[in-house]
Amino acid sequence: MTEQQFSRAEKFWMNFKLYQLWRFIVLNIKIYTIAVQSKWK
Amino acid sequence: MAKIVVIGAGFAGQTAAIYLGTRLGKKHEVTVISNRDVFGYVPSWVWVGVGHMKPEDTVFKLKPVYDRINVRFVHAAAKEIHPEPGDQYVLGEEIGTGNPVRLDYDYLVIAPGPLLNFAGTPGLGPDNGFTHSICSLPHAVKTRDAYLALVERMKKGEKVKIVIGTGHPLATCQGAAFEYISNVHKDLLKRGLRDKADILWLSNEPALGDFGVNGVQVKRNGIVMKSEEFIKSVFLDAGIRWQVQTGVKKVEDGKIYWENYEGQEGVTEFDFAMLIPQFKGQPFKYIGKDGEDISSRIVNPAGFVMVDGKYGLPYAELSQTPEAWPARYQNPTYPNMFAAGIAFAPPGPISRPFTNPNNFMIAPAPPRTGMVSGMIGRVVALNIVDMVNGREPSHSERMTEMVAACIASMGDSLWDGSAVAIVMRPVVPDRKKYQNEYGRDLFISHLEMGLAGAWMKFMLHHTFIWKFKALPGWQLIPE
Ligand SMILES: Cc1cc2nc3c(=O)[nH]c(=O)nc-3n(C[C@H](O)[C@H](O)[C@H](O)COP(=O)(O)OP(=O)(O)OC[C@H]3O[C@@H](n4cnc5c(N)ncnc54)[C@H](O)[C@@H]3O)c2cc1C
Repeated sequence: MTEQQFSRAEKFWMNFKLYQLWRFIVLNIKIYTIAVQSKWK
Repeated sequence: MAKIVVIGAGFAGQTAAIYLGTRLGKKHEVTVISNRDVFGYVPSWVWVGVGHMKPEDTVFKLKPVYDRINVRFVHAAAKEIHPEPGDQYVLGEEIGTGNPVRLDYDYLVIAPGPLLNFAGTPGLGPDNGFTHSICSLPHAVKTRDAYLALVERMKKGEKVKIVIGTGHPLATCQGAAFEYISNVHKDLLKRGLRDKADILWLSNEPALGDFGVNGVQVKRNGIVMKSEEFIKSVFLDAGIRWQVQTGVKKVEDGKIYWENYEGQEGVTEFDFAMLIPQFKGQPFKYIGKDGEDISSRIVNPAGFVMVDGKYGLPYAELSQTPEAWPARYQNPTYPNMFAAGIAFAPPGPISRPFTNPNNFMIAPAPPRTGMVSGMIGRVVALNIVDMVNGREPSHSERMTEMVAACIASMGDSLWDGSAVAIVMRPVVPDRKKYQNEYGRDLFISHLEMGLAGAWMKFMLHHTFIWKFKALPGWQLIPE
């Protein structure tokens, strides 16, 4: 990514359903694991 | 039997109430006093404001939830707090009848969220001014109606000017305004009307993508990427113009008057504007033993409750002192009084404040997002559980330790919507622990945009409402 508009390739991946399903899983795991650590404080 | 009173049933108060009710409710008396008899899932008001979600889908009744978890509900607005030991109580006014309500307490959680200070900017706001707001549900509904009326004008071929951002030089909550501008853009695009609108982002941030938290920085392939570049790309892509470093001073019908970092004054015209007001603390009266006003001992000039933070440090020192941020959210004078969510007084701003040559201060106040408010609600509740059980409070989490995740909606469609997923650790930079110029963990911090974000935003709406209803498994859902 540059300081300019998103490239065509970037936009493609942002809405490519299968890739986004993968990102959905990864993001959920990442956010859940770091957020849940706070529970024990 | 201990008496615990929670004022407010938002992200902070409701979280505290659920923990307190389920842990202490059977043996002790846990009471929530709220001026609304429903919980409102605030993040989805962005969608209400563009007509994409029904208002009733963002709220649920509090009483049935409390009946299940042994919490007493009082539908009243708190007005006065009498904190002197020996006779500690909250005085309120019952909604509907106006009858006085007295709630004695041994432990008090103050979590009434912000007072929306429209009066701080002449002409601002939907009630006595010319702009709109999505900071309360009635406001979001009014905004939706005005927005849809604007859409009708555009359908007839009219070109319009839309301004979205902050309506006060010290405003916070830029994230919500960012979501709203993105949703308006996407909605107009779908309606085939985007070319009829000139959309401007007008904000008090020092830089684009600052969000009142000094921006977000992430490391990708060895290169540090900043939210400033990221949001610039988003706006360029959407054809949204921007003007930052600007404090709004006054609004008239169709005109916003502002002043910027350089000291220049200017006027921006608009057909539709949604500007976030300054947030202040709720104007409770704090009364001493002899009926005297002791507010100055408890709240800061903006009305936020002072807790165990170090107040009064200049920004340069505060930004190097992570331990200045409160850990337990406990008032130092009255240790049985806690403040959670937006109600507690932060020790200072996170973003660099700026005073222009005319001595006009432009400085985003620190946001206390839903996740932060929920975490504080939990810390406070668990400390009260400790104290009720005769232990020292053992829970703490400073904003210089907290991780925050925020999914900023940019269109709600599950087919072609989008959202920016933002993760940052910590919310307030800790330059002692993270020895880079940003004071953040650049590995954990994350910025990503795509359809997956829209799915997450949809999922969060349902999982959080599940949690706030204290339905089975709520404990597994992080704040
Ligand atoms: C449009 C919008 C979108 C947002 N989106 C996000 C997001 O995506 N993610 C995120 O993390 N954060 C988001 N936020 C921020 C988040 O909503 C707040 O951080 C959070 O609501 C603060 O919680 P709180 O409990 O302090 O206050 P609130 O949620 O405002 O709750 C305060 C409660 O106290 C009650 N109350 C007020 N006065 C009294 C009184 N005198 N007596 C009794 N009760 C009283 C109110 O009715 C309310 O129920 C958004 C904010 C807005 C405005």
